Amino acid sequence: MPKSPSPLEEGGGPRRPETGSPDKDSLLKRMRRVDPKQAERYRQRTGE
Amino acid sequence: MRLFGIETEYGITRDDVPDMDPVVESMELVRAHLAASFERRWDYAGEDPHEDARGFRVSGLQQDREEDEFARRDAHRPFSFHDMKSDLVLPNGARFYNDHTHPEYSTPECRTLRDLVAHDRAGERIVHRAAQRRNRLLGGAHLRLYKNNTDFHGHSYGCHDNYLVPRSIPFPALAAGLLPFLVSRQVIAGAGKVGIEAQESGWVAGAYQLSQRADFMETELGVDTMHNRPILNTRDEPHADRRKYRRLHLIIGDANMCEYATALKIGTTRLVLDLIERGALPPLEVEQPVVAVKQVSRDPEIKTMIRLKDGRKVSALELQAHYCEIARRELAGSDEESDWLLSEWAETLHALSEDRSRLVGKLDWVTKLWLIETFMGEERIGWDDPWLASLDLEYHNVNPEQGLYLGLEAEGKAWRLTTEDGIEEALRSGPQDTRGGVRGLCVQRFSEQIQSMQWEQIQFRGSIRSQHLNMGDLFDPKEVRRCVDIFQQARSPADALAVWDHRKEIQT
Repeated sequence: MPKSPSPLEEGGGPRRPETGSPDKDSLLKRMRRVDPKQAERYRQRTGE
Repeated sequence: MRLFGIETEYGITRDDVPDMDPVVESMELVRAHLAASFERRWDYAGEDPHEDARGFRVSGLQQDREEDEFARRDAHRPFSFHDMKSDLVLPNGARFYNDHTHPEYSTPECRTLRDLVAHDRAGERIVHRAAQRRNRLLGGAHLRLYKNNTDFHGHSYGCHDNYLVPRSIPFPALAAGLLPFLVSRQVIAGAGKVGIEAQESGWVAGAYQLSQRADFMETELGVDTMHNRPILNTRDEPHADRRKYRRLHLIIGDANMCEYATALKIGTTRLVLDLIERGALPPLEVEQPVVAVKQVSRDPEIKTMIRLKDGRKVSALELQAHYCEIARRELAGSDEESDWLLSEWAETLHALSEDRSRLVGKLDWVTKLWLIETFMGEERIGWDDPWLASLDLEYHNVNPEQGLYLGLEAEGKAWRLTTEDGIEEALRSGPQDTRGGVRGLCVQRFSEQIQSMQWEQIQFRGSIRSQHLNMGDLFDPKEVRRCVDIFQQARSPADALAVWDHRKEIQT
């Protein structure tokens, strides 16, 4: 985080994140809902 | 000189059909943004990817044959090339279109990091809202969009950062100054990736690396962008007065979800360009840059030593610290944004060497690794589990109800530079101190009178006399604001151009 006020702090940001462990009732639940086969099925054409 | 922008190709998939047609889906996604029917406006005459900054023109790109093959296969489709591209210019000065079967959002040109990050986030919102509209037509939440760079099968798509630089800087000086920086920039800007892959040759589980794109870097310098990708792209397509400017077009970068990573990626690169322009960088050459890019990416402990041509060995953190220290010495006190960058750059490098957990919510590769390791502990699975690649993919999902990063952000665990009001403002209009703001204003006020657009020019419909606004040298912020005022107050483009052209005549 910036040690002193900067022009980037106008309008409310930057804001310091709370870096505890992920909220097990929401984020881990969201992660468990991810289909384990999702990446295997995901196919794209080469881009730039 | 300070002007930058980001182009992001998004990944796109549907879960209700076995073989999604990416040409149609990308086209329909872009068109879902429109309230009215598509009207062709983008003029491709100003685009030529064959010009090389090293002073020559290549006869062909490695992707030309593949592009020709796709064009042959797509020729039977009931729409034209221009319909397929569906090139839109938005009221915020951005460009939104179908590029190589990926929806691509190009921010308007920005002068400050705050504006740039807001416009990058606005792009995510535009893509997500278009997907919501398309899903309503499809009858369910079938379409997913990803702000990432790989499909975990050897196909990569880009997130390019662009910088306006004076043509007076010789290209060899740019290359010499940038190559070691770009080899090591991924310690800050990498988006993180589960597994290892190579160009169109599959994916192997069992490792975590800093960067999504490092696996796809195959040469130091080159004009190609889809095959044989270079660390430093030499495409010479300035989209500005060619006699005065270059556009540095970097294709090595990952698409970042973290606002902090985006700000540091673009900001530190801009500082290094300032150092090159001042001639302040001492000679420093990496012996094998392509090898080093991959070695650095595949070592999350950042202990790998990079061999320099003078025989010394340094870590990626030491390389970054070298640039950071010279920037502090040369540029401290230049302006508030530079001072903020210098402070954050140094603090980030320190945290990477001491306690990277402090960078969760700030750097993507650290944040993704933290999420995945937490999940592995909860589920008791190892690095060889294919579930992890799916978690990697979903980290980049732009749907706030599904995306892992956006879920983290909603919990207040991500550092924010933007506010929701700031993003909404970036959806409505371009920066008022760059030509992107002028472009957006013309779309807002005179959409019906616009005949065609390029990055550096707007052609208006109308009289026999040419009615075009040339923005190839419109970079002085005071001049931009004057131009904005004139187009804001005029009753028609012709009136605005008469005042603007008269002003230019007086000045010359």
